[in-house]
Amino acid sequence: MSLHDPINLLALLAIPLVLLMWMVSRKRRRKFAVRLPGVAAMKAATAGRAGGRWRRMLPAALVGASAVSLATAYAKPQHTVNVPIEKASVVLVSDESGSMAADDVSPSRLEASQGAARSFLKAAPKSLLVGFAGFSSGVETNVAPTTDRDAITSAIAAENADGGTATGDALQAALAQLAARKGSDGKTAPAAIVLLSDGQTTDGSDPVTAAQRAKQLGIPIYTVALGTDSGVLQLGDGRSVSVPPDPQTLAEIASTSGGKAYNVDDADTLDAIYRTLGSKIGTKPEQKEMTVAFVAGGLLLLMGGLGTGVRFRSTLT
Amino acid sequence: MRRPSPARQGPGPIPTQALRRLGLTLRRKVAGRLPGDQPTRGTAGDGTELAQLQQYAPGDDVRRIDPAASARTGEPHVRRMVPERAITTWLVVDVSPSMAFGTTTRLKSDVAEGAADVIARLATRHGGSVSLTVAAGDEAPILPPRGGKHALAALRRALETGVSADGVRGDLGAGLTRVGRLAKAPGVVAIVSDFRDEGWESALRVLAARHSVLAIEVRDPMEDALPDAGVVTFADPETGDMVDLDTSDRRLRALLAGAEAQRRERVAAALRSAGARHVTLRTDGDWLRELGRVLR
Repeated sequence: MSLHDPINLLALLAIPLVLLMWMVSRKRRRKFAVRLPGVAAMKAATAGRAGGRWRRMLPAALVGASAVSLATAYAKPQHTVNVPIEKASVVLVSDESGSMAADDVSPSRLEASQGAARSFLKAAPKSLLVGFAGFSSGVETNVAPTTDRDAITSAIAAENADGGTATGDALQAALAQLAARKGSDGKTAPAAIVLLSDGQTTDGSDPVTAAQRAKQLGIPIYTVALGTDSGVLQLGDGRSVSVPPDPQTLAEIASTSGGKAYNVDDADTLDAIYRTLGSKIGTKPEQKEMTVAFVAGGLLLLMGGLGTGVRFRSTLT
Repeated sequence: MRRPSPARQGPGPIPTQALRRLGLTLRRKVAGRLPGDQPTRGTAGDGTELAQLQQYAPGDDVRRIDPAASARTGEPHVRRMVPERAITTWLVVDVSPSMAFGTTTRLKSDVAEGAADVIARLATRHGGSVSLTVAAGDEAPILPPRGGKHALAALRRALETGVSADGVRGDLGAGLTRVGRLAKAPGVVAIVSDFRDEGWESALRVLAARHSVLAIEVRDPMEDALPDAGVVTFADPETGDMVDLDTSDRRLRALLAGAEAQRRERVAAALRSAGARHVTLRTDGDWLRELGRVLR
C-alpha cells in the first residue's frame, strides 16, 4: 500500500493541535477550580466506578481514529494489484518423448507435466490466451493461443510418451503462432513460451537458434528441466536406459531469449512453478486507489464516536 | 453586628420580638445560682415548680391560665412557675474552611454566626452564662463563661474574625474535648457546625452523657446535589484535593447525591445514638424559623 499524495498527511497535524488545546483547557479548568467541601468523599465515591476513565476517553478516541482514517483517505492511498494484460498470450511447449515415461518424478514425468499444465491453466487469468504445443520427434499437437480452456485440456490429456525430442522444431512452431499477434492499441501484445523438457535435443533444428529468434521477437522463453540425474527408463524388452535431463541447454535457451530457467525433480515443485508462471505471465502490477475504503472506515468510526458519546456521557463528544 | 457586605452577607435580621418566645430547655435538672434577671412574660425558661397564682395581665400566655382558680375567683388567673436556675451554655462554633461556602442567600458561616448569636442571647437570660469555643482546626481558642451583655459583646467580637483561611483542616473533636475538660457542672452544649470533619463522635458522646447537647447542622443545597455543568474541576477548601468530574453524567450525579445522603444519615444516627438534639439549618431557607421551632 502506498500514498498518492503523502503531503496531504499534514492534515494529521490537527490531532496533536487538538490534544494541545485540550491540555491547555484542562490546566485552565484546574486553575479556576470550583471550591466545594467534601471533595475527598466524592473522590472515594467515584473511585470504584467501573471503567470510568475508559468510558470517558472512548468517544474522543473513536473520533480521533476517524480523523486519522479520513486524513489517510485525503492522501489517496493505493495498493498494487495484478491486472491481466490485454491480449497477452502464452504457449505451453511440452515434451512428450519416450523418456517422459520414466518414474523418477512420481507418478511419471508425463503425468507430472500434465498435472502442472492443468495448474497453470487454473492459475492463469481468464483473459490470457493460452496455446499448447506437444512435441516428441516432431510437433504432435499444436493448439493456437485461445481463451478456450477445454481445447487445451483435451490436448494435454491426449499426450502420450513416445518418440525423440525435437525441441527446436517445437519452439519454431510456437514462435510462428505468436509472431502475428497484435494488441488492440496497435502495439505488439506481450507473449511468452513455457518450455518443459526432460532431455537433450535429438531431432530437428537447434533450439538455441529458435531462442535467438525469440529474443528478436521479444518473446521470453521460461524453461523447466524436469527429471533427476538418476532417471531410468524401462524398455519393453527388459533393458533399462538412463535418461537424465539437460539443464545446460535449457538454461542457455532461457538466458538467450530473456526468460528464466528452472530445474525441477519432483511433481509438487513443478506444480508450484507452473502456478507462479500462470499468475505472473500475462499480468502487470497496477496501482489501484483504496480511498473509498478509508472514507467508509472513517465514517464508521465517527458514527461510533458520536454514538458512544451520547450513550456514555449524554453529550455529543 | 457587622454591616452586610457582598463578601459577608451576615445572618440576616434577628428581631428581638422573635426571641421572646424561645428558650433553652433542658433535659435534666441542674444546680446553679438563683435567678435574678428581669421577669419575662413568656413560658420559656419556666421550670416545673409552681411559684404563685397571679391575676391575668394582657401579654400572659393563655396556656397558663389555671381553670380552677379562675372559676373560684371569677377572674382569670395564671400559674407563675419558678424559673430555671442559671445554667452555663457552652457554645462550640465551627470555623473550618468548609463553613465558608454558600451558593444561595448566605454562607454557612453566616447562618452559624446568627445561630450562635441567638443561642448566646437566650443563654444570658435569667443570669445564665455563655462560653464560646471556636473550633478552628489547629487551635480552639475558648472564651470563659461570662454572663450579661459583656458576654454578648465579647462573643460577637470573637466571631467577627470569621472563618479560617483555606488549607487548615477542621477538627471539631478537639474543640469538643476541650469543652468536656473545662465544663465540670452540667449545662447546655450547643454545637454549630456542618459536621464534615472526622472523629467528633466519641467526644460528643462523652459530652452528651453529662450535658444537654443541641447539635445545629448547617447545610447548603449545592452540597446535596450537583447541577449539570459539564466537566468541572472541584477543589476541597480544607485539603486542596482536586477532582475532575463530568457533571453532565446523570448517573454520576445520582451516585454522589446518594453518597452525600448516606453521610448525612450517618451524622444523624451518631447524634441520635449519643442522645443529642439535632436541628438542620439550610442556607436557602429561613434558619431563624427552623431554629425557633426547636427551641420553643
